Amino acid sequence: MFWRMLVGALVRQRRRMLMVALTIALGTSLSTAMLNVMLDVGDKVNRELKAYGANITVIPKSASVLKDLYGIEAGPGAAGQYLAEADLGKIKTIFWAHNIVTFAPFLENKTVLGQGGREVTLVGTWFDHSLELPTGEVAETGVRPLKTWWQVEGGWVKDDDPRGAMVGSLLASSAGLRTGDDFEITPPGGAGKERLTIRGIVSSGGSEDEQIFVPLATAQKLAGLPGKVGRIEVSAITTPENDLARRAAQNPKSLSLKDWETWYCTAYVSAIAYQIEEAVAGSRAKPIRQVAESEGVILQKTQLLMLLITVLSLIGSALGISNLLIAGVMERSREIGLLKALGATDGAILWQNLAEAVAAGIAGGGAGYFSGLGFAQVIGRSVFGSAVAVNAMVIPLVAVLVILVILAGSLPAVRMLLSLRPAEVLHGR
Amino acid sequence: MMSLLALRDISKIYGSVKALQNINLTVQRGEWLSIMGPSGSGKTTLMNIIGCMDKASGGTAILDGVDISTLNSQGLTAIRRDKIGLVFQQFHLIPYLTALENVMVAQYYHSMPDEQEAMAALERVGLKERAKHLPSQLSGGEQQRVCIARALINYPMLILADEPTGNLDEANESIVLGLFQQLHREGHTIITVTHDPEVAELTERCIILEHGRIADQRKSRPISGAGAGA
Amino acid sequence: MTKYAMFGKLVIHALLRRRSRILVALLAVATGATILSGLITIYYDVPRQMGREFRSYGANLLFIPAGSNQMLLADDLARAGGLLPRDKVIGIAPYLYERVKVNEQPLMAAGTIFKEVRNVSPYWHIRGQWPEKADGIVVGAEVAELLKLELGQKITLAVAHASTEKTLTVEGIVRTGGQEENFVFTDLALLQQLLNKEGQLSIAQASIMATEDELTALSRNVAQNVAGVSPRLVKRVTQSEGQVLGKLQALVYLVTIIILLLTLICAATTMMAVVTERRKEIGLKKALGAENSGIIREFLGEGLVLGGLGGAIGTVLGFFFAQAVSLNVFGRAISFQPFIALVAFVVSIGVSGLACLIPVKIAIDVEPAIVLRGE
Ligand SMILES: Nc1ncnc2c1ncn2[C@@H]1O[C@H](COP(=O)(O)OP(=O)(O)O)[C@@H](O)[C@H]1O
Ligand SMILES: [Mg+2]
Repeated sequence: MFWRMLVGALVRQRRRMLMVALTIALGTSLSTAMLNVMLDVGDKVNRELKAYGANITVIPKSASVLKDLYGIEAGPGAAGQYLAEADLGKIKTIFWAHNIVTFAPFLENKTVLGQGGREVTLVGTWFDHSLELPTGEVAETGVRPLKTWWQVEGGWVKDDDPRGAMVGSLLASSAGLRTGDDFEITPPGGAGKERLTIRGIVSSGGSEDEQIFVPLATAQKLAGLPGKVGRIEVSAITTPENDLARRAAQNPKSLSLKDWETWYCTAYVSAIAYQIEEAVAGSRAKPIRQVAESEGVILQKTQLLMLLITVLSLIGSALGISNLLIAGVMERSREIGLLKALGATDGAILWQNLAEAVAAGIAGGGAGYFSGLGFAQVIGRSVFGSAVAVNAMVIPLVAVLVILVILAGSLPAVRMLLSLRPAEVLHGR
Repeated sequence: MMSLLALRDISKIYGSVKALQNINLTVQRGEWLSIMGPSGSGKTTLMNIIGCMDKASGGTAILDGVDISTLNSQGLTAIRRDKIGLVFQQFHLIPYLTALENVMVAQYYHSMPDEQEAMAALERVGLKERAKHLPSQLSGGEQQRVCIARALINYPMLILADEPTGNLDEANESIVLGLFQQLHREGHTIITVTHDPEVAELTERCIILEHGRIADQRKSRPISGAGAGA
Repeated sequence: MTKYAMFGKLVIHALLRRRSRILVALLAVATGATILSGLITIYYDVPRQMGREFRSYGANLLFIPAGSNQMLLADDLARAGGLLPRDKVIGIAPYLYERVKVNEQPLMAAGTIFKEVRNVSPYWHIRGQWPEKADGIVVGAEVAELLKLELGQKITLAVAHASTEKTLTVEGIVRTGGQEENFVFTDLALLQQLLNKEGQLSIAQASIMATEDELTALSRNVAQNVAGVSPRLVKRVTQSEGQVLGKLQALVYLVTIIILLLTLICAATTMMAVVTERRKEIGLKKALGAENSGIIREFLGEGLVLGGLGGAIGTVLGFFFAQAVSLNVFGRAISFQPFIALVAFVVSIGVSGLACLIPVKIAIDVEPAIVLRGE
């Protein structure tokens, strides 16, 4: 009889049941979408923050202080003053290789522009370089993916174009250079003049505006440093720093073995820097705090914001569902009064109601879960241009939520049921 | 003088159920007619058609000179509002309004709510002291009296009562019937549905429905000459 | 009693005397309105609050000497600073660079105002403390390593062409991962005095809460009005900020839209459930001769009152929610936005009115006989 009544309620009160199922579907859909987005938002925003460019610089161990401080170019052949170009690929083989978004090598030289002109910095780099890794994969590297804020007038230099160059906008305007012009540079030694052609003008609002950029090979030839690199800038996705990370940044060796393992296997910027040092011979990798620190701030704020919005939407769905359940019970108070008059126990009526809600919940919850995934993808695609990862953890979370809400939503109903006196209900109208 | 109501060949079909078939009936002004018949014989259906609550599937119905079978639902609403007073077996009072307000609702939809007049109507059915009570605070008999007061308030030409005493105990039944008798004496035209032969005895004429047809018609007592009000 | 008074009575009593049902409906509307006003407030506030957070990336506008000038004049900088919107400026840090000798070692020194540096470059990681007095200095981590400097240690600072030497205390060691680690930072006035360059600067960094477009406008204004100063945008910061902030805003926008959509439907279904329950009442009113339009007006009236009440409650709660979010996430309070409150209020009324109408419209076409029969 229980089943017959249940089926009767479901089939004959189709509209009402549909409404309950619809509301549960809406709530589930909302919770699913928000939880999925929330769990993935860190990763997504982290990728967006890569717009700020490198958060780690890699420099040669022994040269770092001398060169930066005195502006002295160490002579060729000075061991340990440079990094090897051949080691660059190793950056993509570290433990957190997948978190390395991109990187670019730099080799800077002082050089003289034109005939006895002023001294400028000539920077050799990769512009847009597909680097083949030992694993067979291909990594997109170079300044083009790294420095997304560069505004280039004209075109980018091709990495295999030995005569191509890009000139900073300030330098170009003060020297009267335009895209397509040829110009001559003289390396400090005086020997080996070189004619270059301007392919594009770079405007970045930084020191780059006063520099000349050429393919790495050209700069190596001009400086007489074949296969050498002065500096690498790395852009990596990192986890915001915490206490452990800060202690490790001071001195990784001070950690206990367990802490050290945790640190090493978490994508802290200090851990990634440490692993790069391990991979690239004779290198020192330093986190760029301007980027690394700020990333952490933005990331944490965004996640907290999304968390709170998610909590709000969860509360909203919970209230919505339980509210409708209560409304449903009210609507049926007469029917329930009658059942009671016929001798139904409170327990029996309760089960009946619960079973109906659960049946509606399963149908609505299932539909809601999938439409929620749809909403999450809409958000992911239109905001970040990539799909939001579907997190399996969301399923039990939402399921528990819906069950709790159905129970909680039935609670006021239960109280009402118990206080209902059939005579009153049937007479009342 | 033209009769108040004339039904010709009225039938009503619900899917495959023929609720009414070829009903012919005239009701004079000032007449008190009762309809009897077993459950499901079509009494309520007939009342609904007369009361402009529903449309017949076939036939014509003339009420006070207007062919109501051709009216659309707006026209029906207007007729119902102006000419019909309804009393239901289940009372159908609005649960959140007091007795007085329930009466006033009918005035409100008809023309103008008038508290004094509504109160007078309640007084007439003996419920002056209960005017401020909600339906849930009234007994069945009292609720039905509110219903009657509500039916009367707009001076309808025709009062339709579908089993008005069906839910009442004897004491209340006699109060309510007393009210109807008084209304009849005042010249109101009344149609009541009833199961109770004693109630039918009070009326002038009784028709008996069976399977949607008029099976029998009998005069309970001679039609009194009181055609007052008409 | 007039018709209007009766109408009012019908509406009010339908609300007051059906308390538990109305509470349910009210709760539904209020929940919807809370989310509505809360989320719109957050959506409105996020760009500003987040914009403030993005200032942790440091300076987004540089002031450099204009034209062929070698030096920036402090007076010019002050005039330029006066042209910036005061409440948007996080800080303006002036720098004077010069080669000096520290403990006989040649180094680059930068004279600056530490208080401003703290505001402009919050990412500086200082071991020790920011100097309070003029004889305190901050040294870069690389310098400290090279010269084996420790906190609290005294150093001598000498400049070329001057015989005077100053003895200063290392109060902080700065780590940034950038060029700053190779500098010695001293008090600006002290360095200017040593170099005999009073009132002169090399460059100034400004951190301003503004979008790239606003900054462009500001810098154009400064360039026109202050001849000695050439403002330049730090594209890396401004452009990236615009990009990321845009995404974040789009995120909150979409999330808001979806939550609102679903919540409002949810509120509407509950309202509908509550109204659907009253089919019989609609039938009865029709039987009593009510016009369809009259019944619709009554229900609409109820819906509007409910929407107004729930909307008012929700608007207030929503503001408190947004306030809580802002305090928790950004540590800053938000101000009440009357316009948003109004929008939330009006939308709540609209939605609940609509939610009332739909089931009434459905019920109203049913013949009263069908509604009233049985039971
Ligand atoms: N809305 C309806 N839909 C289908 N059948 C109906 C409807 N209303 C009445 N009927 C049928 O019409 C017949 C007459 O019903 P009714 O007039 O209510 O009888 P009663 O004489 O008991 O008042 C019954 O058989 C009933 O089943
Ligand atoms: Mg009947």
